[in-house]
Amino acid sequence: MAKTILIVDDSESIREVVTFTLENEGYKVLVGIDGKDALRFLDGTEIDLIITDLHMPVMDGITLIKEVRGMEKYQRIPILFLTTESQAAKKMEAKEAGATGWIIKPFVPAKLIAAINKVIR
Amino acid sequence: MIENKKHAINSYLTFKLGDEFFAANVSKVLNILEMTKVTKVPKAPNYMKGVINLRGSVLPLVDTRIKFDMTETEYTTNTCILVLDINMNGEPVHLGALVDSVQEVLEIDDVNIQPPPNIGTRYRSEFIEGIAKVEDEFIMILNMDLIFSTDELSVLKESFKEGQEEVVK
Amino acid sequence: MDNFRKKFIEEATEHINELEKALLELERDPENKELVEKVFRVMHSLKGGGAMFGFDKISEFTHHLETIYDLVRNGQMYISKDLLDVTLASVDHLSNLLNDEKINDQLTLEKHSELTKRIENIISQKQTISSDSLKKNHENNSITSTQSSKDEKISTFYILFQPNEHIFNNGTNPLYLVDELYGLGTCKAIPHLHKVPDYYDIEPTKCYTYWEIFLSTKNDINSITDVFIFVEDECNIDIHKLSDTNLLKNKQFLKLLEEPRTGNKDIGINDLQAFVSKLSSAQSIKEKKTEEKVIIASKENSISSIRVSSDKLDTLMNLVSELVTTQARLSLYAEQGGNPELIAIAENVQKLSRQLRDIAFSIVLIPIENLLTRFQRLVRDLSQELKKEVSFIAEGTDTELDKTIIENLTDPLLHILRNSLDHGIEDPATRLKLGKPRQGTILLKAFYSWANVHIQISDDGAGIDPERIRQKALSKGIISVDSTLSHKELIDLVFLSGFSTAQNVTDVSGRGVGMDVVRRKIADIRGEVEIDSKINIGTTITIKLPLTLSIIDGLLVKILDTFYVIPLTAVDKIYAADHNKLTKTFNNLIILDGEQIPFFYLRNEFGLEENKVKSEQVVVVHYEDKRIGLAVDNVVGEYQAVLKPLGKYYKNQEIISGATILGDGTIALVIDSNKAIKYFSNQFIQNQMMEDKK
Repeated sequence: MAKTILIVDDSESIREVVTFTLENEGYKVLVGIDGKDALRFLDGTEIDLIITDLHMPVMDGITLIKEVRGMEKYQRIPILFLTTESQAAKKMEAKEAGATGWIIKPFVPAKLIAAINKVIR
Repeated sequence: MIENKKHAINSYLTFKLGDEFFAANVSKVLNILEMTKVTKVPKAPNYMKGVINLRGSVLPLVDTRIKFDMTETEYTTNTCILVLDINMNGEPVHLGALVDSVQEVLEIDDVNIQPPPNIGTRYRSEFIEGIAKVEDEFIMILNMDLIFSTDELSVLKESFKEGQEEVVK
Repeated sequence: MDNFRKKFIEEATEHINELEKALLELERDPENKELVEKVFRVMHSLKGGGAMFGFDKISEFTHHLETIYDLVRNGQMYISKDLLDVTLASVDHLSNLLNDEKINDQLTLEKHSELTKRIENIISQKQTISSDSLKKNHENNSITSTQSSKDEKISTFYILFQPNEHIFNNGTNPLYLVDELYGLGTCKAIPHLHKVPDYYDIEPTKCYTYWEIFLSTKNDINSITDVFIFVEDECNIDIHKLSDTNLLKNKQFLKLLEEPRTGNKDIGINDLQAFVSKLSSAQSIKEKKTEEKVIIASKENSISSIRVSSDKLDTLMNLVSELVTTQARLSLYAEQGGNPELIAIAENVQKLSRQLRDIAFSIVLIPIENLLTRFQRLVRDLSQELKKEVSFIAEGTDTELDKTIIENLTDPLLHILRNSLDHGIEDPATRLKLGKPRQGTILLKAFYSWANVHIQISDDGAGIDPERIRQKALSKGIISVDSTLSHKELIDLVFLSGFSTAQNVTDVSGRGVGMDVVRRKIADIRGEVEIDSKINIGTTITIKLPLTLSIIDGLLVKILDTFYVIPLTAVDKIYAADHNKLTKTFNNLIILDGEQIPFFYLRNEFGLEENKVKSEQVVVVHYEDKRIGLAVDNVVGEYQAVLKPLGKYYKNQEIISGATILGDGTIALVIDSNKAIKYFSNQFIQNQMMEDKK
């Protein structure tokens, strides 16, 4: 059965790029435009991985990660966040909030896949 | 429509060279400075007085009187430097121009500006934008771009030059 | 997406430049594995990036080339002339595709299908050896597995992986990481379960297991640390390289791993290292040799660089300039104040700002080498087109110039090269007839000379025929029938606009009228051009450029009321001189240190009144290969001058190249000693001629 990945990013182009790449690899992709929007998928649906940006309106990435870790069903779901090289402090914050790993922007599809392969099979 | 154009009012800064009054569109004048230390650059044309320090920039200084074929500017307490923004061959250039004194800023309606006559003035008409009558005085509105762009040494009409050879070197 | 696209375009442009460079080198060195690797990597990046950012045509196009170069680097295909030609042609095409990715332009479309066809041909034929590229004799054609493993270095690593017991909480699955290691080579992971508590005490949300992992891989240690990149903060990870061989093939080693251990203890790094050193002492010499090779290679790779936007560089330079100016004011203030502590601090600030200045400038200075690829490409393409054989040699390419100057130099140099190729170098038949070698040579030389950079382009071609020039000048009315011009004066006529004696107006360099444009462009960056040519021997064009950095080390001097700065790079020595000796001379020579030195008395040259003192100072500067003195009132001292331009009003200024603002706001004028001396000399000669006429 195909694994499901939830991508959360307020940038349409990123969402498109990631969706395209993941669907090519055979994953099913769910899309959220910000943290709050993403939460609507976390209603018990089987999700295997969450990829989220950090800077988003309404609800940002760090808050989303904390929320997810607080839900029983998704306590141990792998979460990757998107970050740029210069945001070292944010990276620490995200990890402390419970993130599993990260992907550095900008990225090529190969890097995205490599990161995903570290956390789901 | 044409009527509207005629009634455009512009601001001009008036100044004196010798006994004559001139005016320049304020859009060309960035600043008015008091006389300051001038560093003379050797082997330059007569009308180039040298350079001055304007807030960290090196500004060339032109003796406007010499451009108008008058005698060199004699420094008095009224002598001022107009910092001009000139369009030279399409490029903006800054320079300082020495004048004997600065009067005031006048609002002059286009209606009151006559084109320069071909006869009766000492100056070549291409350098004069027009002549304005303000309270019984005739003020020559100068085309600053042209006057300060030209490499030409004189603004005077040929016939008015007094056999003086410009000493360039 | 625009930002990413822009980034991709920037990256792709750089890649394409690297690619071109590598291909040109590969032409001369087809067996070079590193170059092939480079080409492959570029194709790979372009393919991936292209797909990511909407440049599908680029992705498709590079896909085949990537396949081909993959085959090459695996030894399954050789570099043929055809392959190189196609790849070079693809370089240009790729640049076009970057600008026109939907291929709207008809020409591009045709080129695209043409090149694609050629590439596909190459793949289907799997072209092999061509006589050019076969240099070595492959003695052992059979590649056995032992040979290949000798070529690629396999190392064995020991990895101790101890996850934190809370590691599950952030979604990590340590097994995936162990799995990833298995993917890097031959791997043996030994789990240690002795920390797992009794059944009833187990908390399933905690991780009690840890592993000792042995990995034999071609990859380097970085690929291993990469595996653990997400968890390195939360786990204890210890990686040691045990050996530069594949220990997992070593029976003794495997036995060591399987030995039963008392008390479930780890195998431990110490035991392992002891084992390995026993093993290696037998093979020490051979291994040392391979190690050295690797070290050299990695040293070369470790020179890294980053890209910086030019805007940032400009801002940096401006700030450095302002810092220098402000520091000058600080120094002045400190000196005037007399407070020793403040003076000491000001001196420190001066030292630091000087260092900062030097580094900032070295960033903005670019070696001429960067222009080379374009030149090589031009020479290659043009010589093929014109059916001439030309070798292009460059010397002194590490000579550095300000990046703006390099940008302004490119066109003039390209034009000079084109002229050389088109009108200079003769075709092989003619050359042989003249007793010259079949292949012509164009030499580009760059070097420093005092405060200038010289760039010379010489060819051993036909040279400029002074007779033809004379005829042309006569016919244009530039000279009269009885004018006598020296050889140099005749040659210099080519600088006049509209002047060309080229028989045919070729597509390549147009009419050769460019020399006047070349001279103008070089003059714009305050440089000079000279031509030297002998018919049938060749032509040399020399470009002299001032090192116009915007902050220079200068010597501050005073003449009457005005301060002047002479660039320190030009200064040789300072002498005190007797006033009378300076003024009562009739041949402008003064004896300093026992030597007769020509000099110019600047007060005179500048038309200033006489100085009523007993002694003054003479600054002796370098001028071409001579030493010339410049007499001033006195020398004030060394000064770091931030050069400010005089502006367009002084664009005809010969002597003064700029101004600088001293600590107290006074302006000092910067003297271009070369131009000044040239000017004074000309004046002197003219005056002499006038005197003679009287």
